[in-house]
Amino acid sequence: MQKLETKNVQLHYGEFHALKGITMSFEPNTVTALIGPSGCGKSTYLRLFNRMNDLIPNVKIKGEVLLDGKDIYKKSAGMRIDELRKKVGMVFQKPNPFPKTIFENVAYGLRVNGINHAGFVEERVETSLRQAALWDEVKDKLKKSAFELSGGQQQRLCIARALAIEPSIILMDEPASALDPISTAKIEELIYELKTKYTIIIVTHNMQQAGRVSDKTAFFYLGELVEFDATPVIFTNPTHSQTQDYVTGRFG
Amino acid sequence: MTHLDTELKRLKDEILEMFNLVCSQLEKGKESLLTLDKSLAREVNFNEKRVNALELKIDKDCENIFALFNPLAIDLRFVLAVLKINSNLERIGDIADGIARYVAETETIFDKELLQVTELEKMYNMAIEMMKDAQQAFDQENTKLARGVFKKDDMLDDINGKANSVLASFIQKHPEKTMQALHIVSTIRKLERTGDQAKNIVEETIFYIEAKVLKHLSTAAKQE
Repeated sequence: MQKLETKNVQLHYGEFHALKGITMSFEPNTVTALIGPSGCGKSTYLRLFNRMNDLIPNVKIKGEVLLDGKDIYKKSAGMRIDELRKKVGMVFQKPNPFPKTIFENVAYGLRVNGINHAGFVEERVETSLRQAALWDEVKDKLKKSAFELSGGQQQRLCIARALAIEPSIILMDEPASALDPISTAKIEELIYELKTKYTIIIVTHNMQQAGRVSDKTAFFYLGELVEFDATPVIFTNPTHSQTQDYVTGRFG
Repeated sequence: MTHLDTELKRLKDEILEMFNLVCSQLEKGKESLLTLDKSLAREVNFNEKRVNALELKIDKDCENIFALFNPLAIDLRFVLAVLKINSNLERIGDIADGIARYVAETETIFDKELLQVTELEKMYNMAIEMMKDAQQAFDQENTKLARGVFKKDDMLDDINGKANSVLASFIQKHPEKTMQALHIVSTIRKLERTGDQAKNIVEETIFYIEAKVLKHLSTAAKQE
């Protein structure tokens, strides 16, 4: 079974038709990159999977969005939004640590879900920070404010925070675009390691990044899915001329 | 290891596999030629498909690395070198296949005197030695060993240069063995080209390690 799927999804922001009949599927333990020019619908599509678009006024969604075969927009899936967001973590473009200690940032998701046993929380915080390749850098200052960390460290802290509640899917919306090249490289290596355990979808404007980290790439343009294929194919011999024009920098 | 490092290591393992395959083809080709072992010759012909298939795979892997990782500096030189070495090895594979093809089709074992005067076995051994040196130099990033290959190629060129006059004398003495002599000269030319390909391989190896371009330089200049 595919981990995630959309079937003929249409999304309108009022009169604006933002997503036009998107049908895609995502295999477990893969990284899929969503690329395309600004305003093409990549982030809108990404936000389908944790229902963040619900927060936007006048949004209308048709079609199916399936997680493990169940439509997350239907009551029959038996999944509340908070339960959905435990399974589907998200990392945003700008690092957004909470105004708390490093430890409490990672522990927050556990505490909100009623997990407060000290030993368990400590173990989960350490595991998450290790998975996010941050433990060695922060293990001696867990009580310090998260704001004392560099931008790259803050972003890895946000990834650890997402991992703490053990999602199966991680959504990343341009996770490295606000970071310096070294931090970007660390995030990319992290993504490459995380895919052994998680299904990851990443929106990126950086095509070289898509090439480096993803197994499959989807090219969006004006709300449509133009092409979706293995990343080596998209970057060496795309089928559609629009895709070729985009990846070669001739437009967008 | 980064993702790129993993891909580069995989590419290196593949090109070393290609080296092993092609060297094996040359050795079997030599054995089949000297003993007229047709079964061994047919084995070389059959394995030529493997050589070609591996060449295509390596080409594709290089293309993917360029497209997906934009390698720079030594990584870029490495992938460029592998792309060219791959092509050189495939040509050597063709040469081994061509020699074996003759063996598979002929009924006459080579005259011992003919083999001796042309120094064919010595030339063949030298060509195989050059290939092994080239492989080791690439694998161990040993540019000193790589540079040693240039002098060995001069020895091959020397034998090739003498071949015409040697064979002309032989044919005068043994006109009934003219066809054999012509096949020998064809084999000598093939081995000379093998030496050239081995030289190209070490030039690419030195390029990737030292960023020096040795193409079109004299043997002496290449040693510097």
